[in-house]
This record gives sequence, structure tokens and C-alpha cells, in this order.
Amino acid sequence: MSIIETKNLTYTYPGGIETSLRDLSVKIQKGKFVLITGPSGCGKTTLCRCFNGLIPHFYQGELVGETTVVGLKVAEHPIYELAKQVGLVFQNPENQLFALSVEKDVAFGLENLGVPREEMRKRVDWALNLTGIYDLKERAPHELSGGQQQRVAIASVLAMQPEVIILDEPTSFLDPLGAKKIFEVIYDLNTKLGITVVLVEHRLDLTARYANHIIIMDNGEIILDGEPRKILNSEKTRLIGVGIPKPTRLYQILRKDGVRLSNTIPLCSDEMATMLREALKS
Amino acid sequence: MSVFDGLKYRRVYSPIHNLDPRIKFIYVCAIFAATIIYWELPPLITLFLIQVPFVVLAGVQREWIRSMRGAAFLATIIFVTNFIFSYISAGYTVTASNLEYAIAMTLRFIVLVESFSVFFLTTSPDHLGLALEQTRIPYEFCFAFTTAVRFVPVLAEEAQTIIDAQKARGLELERGNFLKRIRNYIPILIPLIVSAIRRSLELAEAMESRAWGATEKRTNLYVLKMHRGDLLLIAITILILAVAIYVRLFLEIPPLSSLLRGSFF
Repeated sequence: MSIIETKNLTYTYPGGIETSLRDLSVKIQKGKFVLITGPSGCGKTTLCRCFNGLIPHFYQGELVGETTVVGLKVAEHPIYELAKQVGLVFQNPENQLFALSVEKDVAFGLENLGVPREEMRKRVDWALNLTGIYDLKERAPHELSGGQQQRVAIASVLAMQPEVIILDEPTSFLDPLGAKKIFEVIYDLNTKLGITVVLVEHRLDLTARYANHIIIMDNGEIILDGEPRKILNSEKTRLIGVGIPKPTRLYQILRKDGVRLSNTIPLCSDEMATMLREALKS
Repeated sequence: MSVFDGLKYRRVYSPIHNLDPRIKFIYVCAIFAATIIYWELPPLITLFLIQVPFVVLAGVQREWIRSMRGAAFLATIIFVTNFIFSYISAGYTVTASNLEYAIAMTLRFIVLVESFSVFFLTTSPDHLGLALEQTRIPYEFCFAFTTAVRFVPVLAEEAQTIIDAQKARGLELERGNFLKRIRNYIPILIPLIVSAIRRSLELAEAMESRAWGATEKRTNLYVLKMHRGDLLLIAITILILAVAIYVRLFLEIPPLSSLLRGSFF
């Protein structure tokens, strides 16, 4: 069952010269960890905005085609209705926290929805615990590090208990360690709670291992769409300029030089290490 | 900006911090009213001293003293102007009573600063926003208030970054006469404003994505409840106000100079 589906989506921003999305059709299955990547300006963010209704409700402009998310036609439902089903985490953690304490920020969406206080309390604590920031709940956002802020942003989306969480380059303001923690939190949400995750990210080294569906975009179009190992191994992906995980690249080079390795393409260094060990033994 | 330093909130816990901000605000208003109905020194001194226990109880002495020091400049101006005017109107003579009058006017200002500084030093902006919300002020305004407070440090940091960047490109801020100096700040203001506008767009997007405006009946994570301390503060407030009005209407207030003389002889 597909939880997000777009049909022939074409979109131009108001006053935009170039079309941001061109005849884009995609299907995302429920419960998957989807990774969207591609060079900057290829329309990834625009696609995210289509998924939660910011396009067409917040951004005018020319939209052709149809998006369905969790059974709702995006064009026919206001953003706040979609927000209950689809959570969107933005690039800059600073600009998505409004309140003066972490706890209050996590509650913001629930307050807007008019959730009763006892229920709200429960859900806020639940979200804070899942993202590992319960101890920070009384701190002000500007006292936190970027990684902590981004976890607050994830918690505040999580508290609304959406079916899908979309993260638009959530780690571009973070250091590698902070980024790694964020990805672990996201992976947990996907595996333990079964939330569908759509992650837009350039750091494939850190994320490719979690994904079970990869979409490569370029110039407003989907170039490749499917199983991670197959896609990351293809020549086309490399030529677009996607940062292929280093183990995968190493595998390609070794294969080309005639080193005999098994047929599963490695996505992370652990996999590569086992593979090399086996190759050395035989 | 030392006056504002004294109004900056620092997170601590004390009986005063836990009081309902609405009641505290009423208290400040009562002190305000009591202060402006007096122009004699003895009651103003009393009003000044009444508030010292609050400061000590809240444990914000250091900040409070700083705010008092910040107010010193304005207080001096008030004293000098008042003194000059009473000096002229008294026929160019310095008397004990016109000196006392000038001091009283200054003290009146200081008492006002004192009460506001106690209020702002002991009330978190979050609490204040909550109080605004629960006095049925439209939520949009309360939100604007708390968000503004939230982004003060962010914008300050950004301004610093822009200043550094422009200085690195050779901008000299402390150069030229007064007008030139003001004009020097244009290359800092423009990027700051542009980025603030961009930021506001991103904020709006994030708000929309978090179901802003979903329902008229918004709920709130926190609720302000009255405790015993709040009732006590109400009682104190009423008492101060009642005594102040009674003394004003029915009692003759002797000037401080005669009080002092009375105690000496």
C-alpha cells in the first residue's frame, strides 16, 4: 500500500523562471525508510513541500498533477489537517522552534490542535523520551546545541503522532556526531514505531545503510528510484554527482580491478569489512 | 544598556518567582498608583523599603542593584531639573523643603523602576506569555510576544556575525562624525533585515506544518493556578493601597526635615 503517491506533478514557484518539478510521479510504501538525494536545487525541498501541503496552500504558483498522502488529497485538505498525518522537519533547527522552553515547543502542535492537557502531557513526555531529550525539557532553545535543537524539532513533530515524518536535510547545520545521533533516532522511529520516514540527505555515508528505498533526483525529475544497493552501484548515480558511500565506491573499484568479491553491494564500512575478510580468507 | 540589564530575567527558583505573574503585575500597578499620589519624602521612603524584602526573598539582589545603578543617570537628571525649578520658584534660595521636594521626585522615579525591575527579574517571559494568554488576549499577540523574546538572542548573534563579516571586508564603524557613524551602520542593518524577513518566512512555514490555526479552542500545556502565596500577595497589595489612600486623604504628612528635628530635640 502506498502512503504517499504523486501523479505527474509539475510545479513552478510564483515568479520562478524554471520549473521546479517536471512531470514527477512517485510512490512511497508504508513503513519504508526512503532516502531522497540529488544535487542542490534539484527539487527535493519542493517535493517535501508538496507532501505536506505547503504547496499549494502556502506557496502559490503553478501546480499540475495530484498528490495523495495517507489517503488524503493534498490539494483538498488544509495544512493543519495534513499536519496530523505528515510531520515535516526543516533544515535549520533554529527557525522551527518558537517557544521559550523545549517542553512548550514540543507541545506547540498539540496545543494548536486543541488536545486536552492530560493527553498532551503524556504525548510530550513520550516524544521527549523517544528522542532522548527529556532532561532538557525546561531549557530555552538558544541554550541548546544544533543537534539538540534538531532533536527538539523531531520530538515536536513526533508528538503529533504522524504516519509519515519527512526530514528535509535535517543535519546540514550539524557536526558529524550530531548528525549520526539524529539518524539513529530517525531509524529507531522507523523500526520501532513503524513510522514511514522520508529523509532528504546528502550524507549517504551515514544514511544509506538505513534506507530501503532510494530516490535520486536531478533537475526536477526522478532519475532513479528503487532498491538502495542497485541504485548506488549504478554508473548513472555516480555521474550525477551523488556522494556514493565510500565502501560502495571501493567495492566498485576493486571489482573493476578483478578482485573477486561477493555479489551483495556493501553500503557501510562494516559490510565492506566482512566482505574483504571473506575475500582474503578464500 | 545597563537599565535593561536590570530587567533581564535569569532562571532561578524562589517563592517570588513562583507567584502568579498576573498578581505580581497588579502589585506593581498598586505600587505605581501609591507612588504617584505622594510627593512627600517619608511615604516614598516607606514604599521603597517595602520592596526590599521581595528582592531579598527572590535572591536577585545583584541584578536589582545593577538596575538601580542603571537608573542613576536618569535619576540625576530628574533631581537636577526639579531642584533648579524649585530653586527658581522659591526666589533663588535653597531651602530644606525644596531640596526635599527634589529628592522626593527622584525617589518616586526610583521606586517605579524598583517595582518594575522586581517584576521583570522574577517573571520568566514564558510565564508572562502564559499570563497574557489566560487573560484572554488573542493568542496571535501572545505568540508574537513570546516569539519576539525567543528570537532576541538569535538576532543578536546574527548581528554580531554580520558586523564581523563587514568589518572583515573593511567596514569601519567607529569613524567620522556622529552622522557618518550612523550611516556606517547601514551595511549592517540591511543584511540583518533581509535575513530576519527570510527567517520569518521559514518560521511561518514551520508554524503551518505544526497545525497553526487548526482550532479556535487552543489548549495549553501549562495552566496558571493561584496558590497560598498569591493570596498573600493580594492581601499585601490591598493593604498597601488602602493604607496609602487613607494616609493621603486623612493624615497630614510632616516633611522629613521636621521629623528628623523632632527626633533630635
